Amino acid sequence: MPVMRRSKIRQRLLIMLVTGIGGMAAAAISFASAVYDAANPVPVPVIGKDQVVDTGRWRVTINGAHMSSLPPTGTKPFEPKRFLLVDLELDNRSVASSNVFMNLITIKDDAAPLQPKPTYYLARDKWIASAINPNMPEKLVAAWEWPADRPEPQTLSLAIGKQIYKPRDNLYGAPNWFDDGEAAVVELPVTQAVETTEQ
Amino acid sequence: MSAFRTLLLCGLAIAALYGMRNSTPGYGDITAPIAIRGAVGERVETRDFAFGAASVHLARQLKVESFGRVKDFSTSGIWLVIEGAAVSKTETMTLMSAEWLASNGVRYALSQRFSTVPGYLPTERLEPGLPRPVLLAFELPEAAVDQGTLLVARSRVSPLAEELSIALGDKKPAEIKPSVTIARSGSGAPWTLAAH
Repeated sequence: MPVMRRSKIRQRLLIMLVTGIGGMAAAAISFASAVYDAANPVPVPVIGKDQVVDTGRWRVTINGAHMSSLPPTGTKPFEPKRFLLVDLELDNRSVASSNVFMNLITIKDDAAPLQPKPTYYLARDKWIASAINPNMPEKLVAAWEWPADRPEPQTLSLAIGKQIYKPRDNLYGAPNWFDDGEAAVVELPVTQAVETTEQ
Repeated sequence: MSAFRTLLLCGLAIAALYGMRNSTPGYGDITAPIAIRGAVGERVETRDFAFGAASVHLARQLKVESFGRVKDFSTSGIWLVIEGAAVSKTETMTLMSAEWLASNGVRYALSQRFSTVPGYLPTERLEPGLPRPVLLAFELPEAAVDQGTLLVARSRVSPLAEELSIALGDKKPAEIKPSVTIARSGSGAPWTLAAH
């Protein structure tokens, strides 16, 4: 019957139109919200030293920064070097030991990022730190080797990265932690430490 | 009536999909290692290797003697030192992963702070058929020792591989020693433990 068929085709056309417009609207809204979020980033709080930063997985407290010619081990390097030492406290709030914090704390300097990465030392033992265990807060010293051709800093701003936990990631559906921007920027003065002579 | 039925069917489909999504085990669950249970003091076998934990010690501080120097390793918790033996069965291998699973589900990785301890598990190469004495050390809060289990596997990320799960049971040491010294030994086991 031609009349029935025509109405069926019209119904189908309507359905295609509704789903098409709906899908395009969804894509447009999602794209627009992504663009809007990128254009209006949530401001990262800037805080001073001795304040606890809760990044979700870690609780980080930056306690101070100073320049020194000795690494935290106290062993004088063969060639004279300058070290930027940052005292910090870390508390692992996750369910497993982790050394990810080594990638999360970076010096915020857009002009010239400082390479290489810092070495972390346990403040207790004056020895190189490894993974930090849950429920065992530790005091650490991060040591950056300061380039000889750069002036020594008077102030320092450290970016504390944060991570989010996904019980199912987007690729495999596996549980994992993923980087998620910055939790806070810590600004603190750099003091010139009194030179102690050891060894 | 027909519209109502369509809506009802849609709702049912969404509910069914939601239920299926939530009851499906995740990738982490379906590829988790297969646990092989054992206890301290007995040999526990997997297809590829066997491991036995012989004795367990608790200490507030570890001292490691190497090249004539004694290095102190302090901890904010306590040290759990396990002496055992491992043997591979099919090929040369290294047991790279050892964790302490506390009763509340928190996992503590094997301490990575030693580089010169003889017989330390992740540095020991196991040849097929030749048992080697191995040493493990964990840094734990005191509360994590009770009811804990030792997990040993070939590597941290190995889907569907076998993993030993060794219960401490009643083999928990009675006292926490103030300090334990690990020194190199000339014969027998490659180290000696001395408590102070």
